[in-house]
Amino acid sequence: MNAHLERAAIAALILGAFSGGAIAKPIAFAQGTTVMAEYGAGTMTEVQAFYAPTFRYSLGGGHLRLDSEVNENTRDITYLRVNFLPKRWNLEAAQANAFVWGSVGRAHIGESDENLFAWNVGGQLDYETRRVYASLRTDLHESSAFSHRIDTLQLGIAPYEHEYDSLATWFVIQGRQYTGGLSEGTEWAALVRLFKRSAWIEAGVTTDGKLQAMLMVNF
Amino acid sequence: MNKRQAILSALLLLFANGVNAATIEMTVNGLVCGFCAQGIEKTLRRNAATEDVLVNLEHRLVAIATKPGEDIPDEVLRKALKDAGYDVKAIARTGRTMDTIRAQLKVGP
Repeated sequence: MNAHLERAAIAALILGAFSGGAIAKPIAFAQGTTVMAEYGAGTMTEVQAFYAPTFRYSLGGGHLRLDSEVNENTRDITYLRVNFLPKRWNLEAAQANAFVWGSVGRAHIGESDENLFAWNVGGQLDYETRRVYASLRTDLHESSAFSHRIDTLQLGIAPYEHEYDSLATWFVIQGRQYTGGLSEGTEWAALVRLFKRSAWIEAGVTTDGKLQAMLMVNF
Repeated sequence: MNKRQAILSALLLLFANGVNAATIEMTVNGLVCGFCAQGIEKTLRRNAATEDVLVNLEHRLVAIATKPGEDIPDEVLRKALKDAGYDVKAIARTGRTMDTIRAQLKVGP
């Protein structure tokens, strides 16, 4: 079994240990906790945990590992983050959101073995119905040694309208771009997303055949 | 107890049962996903008067069964949903029980 399949199997086992919107959001609901883990085709790996006192904001932290595809550079960024929802549109059969966030933390620069102060700002616009969704997310990570921006576009379609207690299935196309010497061009991936009640998992492959996967639990 | 008192008592009992059996049904905008439903259910179950909560995405319905003899005022419901991030469009107190609603919507408890 190769490394990608092993990771997919581990993700599936983790999902099995738990008992679900179409879009990953940094604030799930008021007084709710969100735990997310993402494996991004070998270039980024991120884990996050947030608690939302209200539906307007959440507090938490995470760790981001970046591995350049074009050279041997690596960054390990550990951060504390505040997420804010300045605007939500509740429509009759749809919802749209505008999220922003900011974080501060520490980055380990692999090639120079330095530890530096790092900060981050980002945002997300999303729109979803029970059959389609779209999200655009941008994440800027900065330190005195690097500047990386990760832009992610996702478009999803559901083959059926799920109910609260039923399994939701989504087919997703993802496009992602990195700046700052991490990767060249746009990385495209086809994903299948499944969620039910508090847990979701998505997994798929990029056009280079690399694993793209995400796990999220809200409670 | 004479006949008139017996009838009055029976009517009062019937009326009281009718009040107890009332279910609050709300139409909510923005209800498109399981996580939405989860947040709303969690919020409403914190209310001491709540006995049961049902969320149905297809009908944009949030239904609450209250404990016997209790009610939740409209303004409290609207605030609870607003604080959860959703907009209440309509509130109605109906005679449908939660079992009836579940059966009509064909959803589990």
